[in-house]
Amino acid sequence: MTAPLIALDAVSIRHDGAERSTPSGVSFEVRPGEVVLLLGPSGCGKSTLALALDGLIPHAVPAALEGMVRVAGLDSAGHTVAELSEHVAMVFQDPDAQVVTGTLLDEVCFGPENQLVPAAEVLERAERALKLVGLWERRADNPDVLSGGGRQRLAVACALALAAPVLVLDEPTANLDPAGIDEVYAVLRDLASERDHAIVLVEHNLDAAVDIVDRVIVLDAAGRLVIDGPAREVLTHRAEQLLELGVWLPVSTLAALRLRDAGVVLDPLPLSPSELAAALDAVDVLPSPAIAVDPSAATSAPAITVRDCSVRRGGRRGPVVVDGVDLDVASGDFLAIVGTNGAGKTTLLQAIAGVIPSPKGSVDVLGIDPSRADARTRARQIGFVFQNPEHQFVAHTVAEELELGLRLQGVDEEARRLEVDRMLARFDLTEHRDRHPFLLSGGQKRRLSVGTALVAGAPVLALDEPTFGQDRARASELLDILSGLNAEGTTVLVVTHDLQLVADHATHVAVMRDGRLLGVGPTAEVLAGPLIEAAGLRHPPLARATRGLASHPEWHAVTRMSQLPVARQAAA
Amino acid sequence: MSAVTPDLTPDAAAAAARATAAASASATAAPATLAASVTPDTAASARPRDPYAEQAPAPGIRFLHHLNPLAKFAAPLPVMLALIFTRGLAIPTAFIVLALALLVIGARLSGRALAVLLLGVPVAIAVLGLSFGLWVDPERISGAGAAASVVIFEIGDWQFTLAAYLVGLATALRIAALLMLSLIAGLTTSGPELVRALVQNLRVPYRIGYTALAALRFVPRFGHELEVIRAAHRVRGTDAGRGPIAAVRRTIGTAIPLLASAIRHAERVALAMDARAFGAHATRTERTISRWRVRDTVFVVAFWAVSVAIYWWALQAGLGGVTSDRTEVGL
Repeated sequence: MTAPLIALDAVSIRHDGAERSTPSGVSFEVRPGEVVLLLGPSGCGKSTLALALDGLIPHAVPAALEGMVRVAGLDSAGHTVAELSEHVAMVFQDPDAQVVTGTLLDEVCFGPENQLVPAAEVLERAERALKLVGLWERRADNPDVLSGGGRQRLAVACALALAAPVLVLDEPTANLDPAGIDEVYAVLRDLASERDHAIVLVEHNLDAAVDIVDRVIVLDAAGRLVIDGPAREVLTHRAEQLLELGVWLPVSTLAALRLRDAGVVLDPLPLSPSELAAALDAVDVLPSPAIAVDPSAATSAPAITVRDCSVRRGGRRGPVVVDGVDLDVASGDFLAIVGTNGAGKTTLLQAIAGVIPSPKGSVDVLGIDPSRADARTRARQIGFVFQNPEHQFVAHTVAEELELGLRLQGVDEEARRLEVDRMLARFDLTEHRDRHPFLLSGGQKRRLSVGTALVAGAPVLALDEPTFGQDRARASELLDILSGLNAEGTTVLVVTHDLQLVADHATHVAVMRDGRLLGVGPTAEVLAGPLIEAAGLRHPPLARATRGLASHPEWHAVTRMSQLPVARQAAA
Repeated sequence: MSAVTPDLTPDAAAAAARATAAASASATAAPATLAASVTPDTAASARPRDPYAEQAPAPGIRFLHHLNPLAKFAAPLPVMLALIFTRGLAIPTAFIVLALALLVIGARLSGRALAVLLLGVPVAIAVLGLSFGLWVDPERISGAGAAASVVIFEIGDWQFTLAAYLVGLATALRIAALLMLSLIAGLTTSGPELVRALVQNLRVPYRIGYTALAALRFVPRFGHELEVIRAAHRVRGTDAGRGPIAAVRRTIGTAIPLLASAIRHAERVALAMDARAFGAHATRTERTISRWRVRDTVFVVAFWAVSVAIYWWALQAGLGGVTSDRTEVGL
């Protein structure tokens, strides 16, 4: 075998101020042409490990590294990040935070220029890299005008231009919409098939990544390496072990595991929707799916009425981003608004919640016009949660943060204290009541922001892309909370890109395209109909698998995990 | 993605790039920025033209775009210093006219920018002059001669005299002249050009220059983020309350999330730059060479000569004065 490009020997990394090392005692090697997927539950240190592969740890990030990382035979502790960048190139999660210059071409040239590569070769590398990611024609553009997926492809091109044999990608699609994810993976698939680069991928979206990786390395919650083996073998043979470790599996594999509990054994376990479909079609008799009659079919009072709502961005001369939308949301619905980037989802949600002004009389939330009501009245009817919870925090402790909304309502002190205690308990924040909101973990911040939106007693909650930039475990945890609130009677509106989460949690789906509402209906109907494709979206993985089933037509409407024939306690 | 065939020589690469650019431009009617990669003056120069410049090359008459940014800063700089100590109307007016002439001839301006320069600036001077004039202490100009006795309007005992207006106007003209002179460089130089000139011609360390350039990209991002934070705080109902104290509290309230996010963003950008070998060597490859040419020297010397001539003429004719007394208000 060829010499390893990267060799880790008993690597433990402890961030300054952290109590324990994650990762802890990890050893593995990466050889030329390999595509390695690094998996593990939230907080296991996958991203930290990625930073150690090109020397950012220990050189640029305050963390202590034990053990030895060798990059092309060089000890990473004894060589600068710049030296190591000739051997390892990085792509980070946030596409916005990787742009330094004013044009795509300058951006790609930036790395090799720093390496003192002669100008002619810089251009040559830049041309090759930009052509590979399909951005060569746009080289004179400002990176700001690219979509998220485009900017992330640019980041890949910048990494390629360093001419390093190893490419490390840290959650490269976590901040992207489905179209952007597809774009980036199309590029990565080309790279992987050329075998010119070794690729180390940290990714929680296994549905996208699974077909390009050869090898999987799994860390447990304590940061120890537990599995290192061929991708397909690990994912199919040790799926239950991965699940126990808290690793998120491809949706199709999860579905197959549930079916196995119900007595339908699919062997080998499918990893993609097409494999799941093929495996299901190969089974002669399937139990009938648990398609429940929609409970919200009973007419309940409308909570939100939107009539001919049009919104322009940036004043009266700005472009129309929401165009003549009519929408009714019944009390107790869980409505997901979906659409591609720029379809006007967020703007519609903000207009409904009164965050931005809407035309007079076009929006009615439980009898008030939110953009004309004062903050106090509005807060009693509808709570709005922004994409970044930090943006909404205004107080110095968690308890004060919750109390603020009550104070605004003029609630007296005793009642305030009781209500704050209740909310802290409801959102599992009691032990953090005196901490500064900014010092909470990501999931806690998110829970607190939901709590502050609801504390004034609003029966309607609106959330803008609450799962953006989070891994599937945390996204699912939040959606479970929302489902719980919904079950208690709160009307929930959510804008999201994650259609599998929509399928699993929402009762209704509104589909938007180019500012117009294409349609709205119960989740199962919308996912079974043509609207998703008409909006330029792709069906969520489970729906993709069941839609095409030839021998089980009664399964075509199965889109959510809970519809799979499984014992009730397992589905919960 | 197998059609990647990089050419081996720089000339061929450049030629190929140009051909691709021209082809794409004609095929998709893309902006002229890509197609017009050869301009007369650079075709004549010895080195191969970098076809990747971020700005569309300006026509020859727009000479300001063909000067080194440092020349455009160096030429007006002594005048700008002198203007601070200059009194009177004639000298600032002369420099405003000079700067306007240079910009109208030598800079590629949009119709709107041209309108602002030619119409907006005189209006701004008149208004500024009036408002400065209102603040002039009448005691100090009582001896200014005939103009002091010409009353433009009066409110009760208080009189606004022509002399006061002229003093205000002189101040407004000085400010306008400073602004116009700085626009000579400001309207014709891009950020990357300036950084290149600073790094290559003035030997400013590239680590500082390019970091500043990267930081420049933060500004619109923070602007947008601030809007979002304000909206988020409005939703929380914390914008209640009027008056300065509430305003200060609001500002602090929005500053904390903005700072937190700014620091995080800066850290991420720093990591991304480190990972791309920023700061690895004492110098870095420069694809675009910033040169100090004869024309830059000619421009600077000519500008200085004209400036000296203007001062000499004005002082000769008694149309203004130069003083370091900051309280001096005379014409």
